[in-house]
Amino acid sequence: MKLFIRYLNLMVVTIFILIVLSFFLPFLFPGDLLTNISGIVAQSADQRTALEQVYKLDQSIFHQFIFYIESLLNSNWGVSTNDQSNLYQEVSLAFPATLELVGYALLVSIIIGIPIGFISGLKNHNPFDFSVVTFSMVGYSFPVFWLALIFITIFCLQLEWLPISGRIDLLFDVPVETGFILLDIARSDIPNKPDAYLDALHHLILPTASVAIVTTALFIRFTRRSIMDVMDKGYIIAAKSRGFTQRQIFFKHGLKNALLPILPILALQISTLITNVMIIETIFSWPGIGRWLIQAIYQQDYPAIRIGMLIVSLFVMAMTITIEFITRAMNPARERAESAAV
Amino acid sequence: MQRFNLYQEEYHPSPLVNIWIEFRRSHIALAGFVLLVLFVVITILAPIIAPFDPYLQNTNAILLPPAWEPNGSAIHLLGTDGLGRDVFSRLLYACRITFGSSLVIVAVSVLIGVGLGALAGVLSGVRSSVINHLLDSIMSIPTLLIAIIIVAILGTGLTNAMLAITLALIPQFVHQTRTFVRNELQKDYVLLDRLDGASSPRIFIYSILPGMVELIVVQATIALSVAIIDISALGFLNLAAQDPLIELGLTLSQGLEVAYVAPWLIILPGLCIFLMILSVNIVGEGLRSALRNRLHH
Repeated sequence: MKLFIRYLNLMVVTIFILIVLSFFLPFLFPGDLLTNISGIVAQSADQRTALEQVYKLDQSIFHQFIFYIESLLNSNWGVSTNDQSNLYQEVSLAFPATLELVGYALLVSIIIGIPIGFISGLKNHNPFDFSVVTFSMVGYSFPVFWLALIFITIFCLQLEWLPISGRIDLLFDVPVETGFILLDIARSDIPNKPDAYLDALHHLILPTASVAIVTTALFIRFTRRSIMDVMDKGYIIAAKSRGFTQRQIFFKHGLKNALLPILPILALQISTLITNVMIIETIFSWPGIGRWLIQAIYQQDYPAIRIGMLIVSLFVMAMTITIEFITRAMNPARERAESAAV
Repeated sequence: MQRFNLYQEEYHPSPLVNIWIEFRRSHIALAGFVLLVLFVVITILAPIIAPFDPYLQNTNAILLPPAWEPNGSAIHLLGTDGLGRDVFSRLLYACRITFGSSLVIVAVSVLIGVGLGALAGVLSGVRSSVINHLLDSIMSIPTLLIAIIIVAILGTGLTNAMLAITLALIPQFVHQTRTFVRNELQKDYVLLDRLDGASSPRIFIYSILPGMVELIVVQATIALSVAIIDISALGFLNLAAQDPLIELGLTLSQGLEVAYVAPWLIILPGLCIFLMILSVNIVGEGLRSALRNRLHH
């Protein structure tokens, strides 16, 4: 309980710091402050004064900050400088798309990476282990954008197996409700659902694979190292001398103790994962927050950058702190997160 | 004259030589090392090695394929790009910018990170989980996000991208240094120094730093591979180096325009980035296992 309050406190403080940072961003961006905050280029002096009054620019910075927090909570996130579109709607459409990609990539990496890491760590220095180590070394050296381009050249242009871009064929008229494409298909009432699912999955394969290969390679390395360290420990030798089989030792002692230290390291990888997903989105025209942010920077759409930055960093932060809390709760002996060693 | 000798070896290798002996036992690590040295040589000597001026446009040979293709030419070893510029020379210059700027990024973040970490470790009293967690939090902001914010404030450019990546890399050095210094300060040899009247900066520089160098070098190799990935990714997204500069990620994104007719223009720069990162990672891994094994003996 005490731990929970400490982490809750930490979470609140970090969120507050991030909001303060994002509040001061428009002051640092080049150009007109009013436009940077509101997204509207004032056409006349009257409109300007009116806007200034709305955003409390005529009052003290404290009032402005209070107004900023209020509008954040009321999901009144302002409009984009370019097309005056509502930022709240834009983000709530783009963010689930990113989450979807992150989720699938993470799922694939965990399902493939962790068991392989265990197997090769338990039987190290045999051919299987050697090839796994080689694969993971090569896999995590791949620049993710190049990998994606090579996948596109092979599977889309040469073999024509998979689609290049987007989330689903435009022929399927799926109404956007949740932003998660598979959920949207399930909730919609279009005639040929199985085809739609298949098409959406086809679109998912390449982006997920490009991100997941790098992440899987990292997971394999962490897991392998961790289980190798654990299997050298005294209690494993003690268990061996008591006559347990290798199987029993692994499932009773090895698994848990090897998984605990890698959890926080995996949490630190979320930021790498998000960066990779954001790059992949721009390549595959995946309508997620990364592509949206990068478009915003090309068009110098400062209100959009501010909100997008806030949302993504809040998400990453919340994930990291939550995972850290879970690890601490499961393993009270842990002092603090060990820094990542690949 | 035969001399009595208790030890079998006359020669006691220094720790550094020990690491090298361990390191070269792995052939893969050695190969990675050779590759890394090659990139360092390219970084220093690119203008001398390059057969052509990287900006020279040969309008008679536009989109020439590499020499091993049927209609390639041996004059342009790796072919030419859409403006008739020699790809081999351009790649050499691009490696130079990418690798060189990554080295600068890592050097700066090591200096700042270790400095701050030492300060945070030596100064007692500020020990609170808040600072530690705050560092963790900064570490968890994606690099691309920091880069986007910095580019939004300062504009695009190689220097700004380097600044962003440096900012993203510093916390991990602070973290490592801080933890290491905290642990060492508990030990007796530091207490001995302290009883001798050594000041905190002196203890850090003469007693703790020498033991920390290896840790920093290993951490720096990880940081170097991250820096290379990030700088080329930002270049690829047109957020880092801009056109007159030749950078691997940027070259890759320029090759995208003619990818249908000239696939080698995206394969070759990507291959360079990949080999660069791979060599850094292999050397880093080799160093880590060499250090581990040396401690075992």
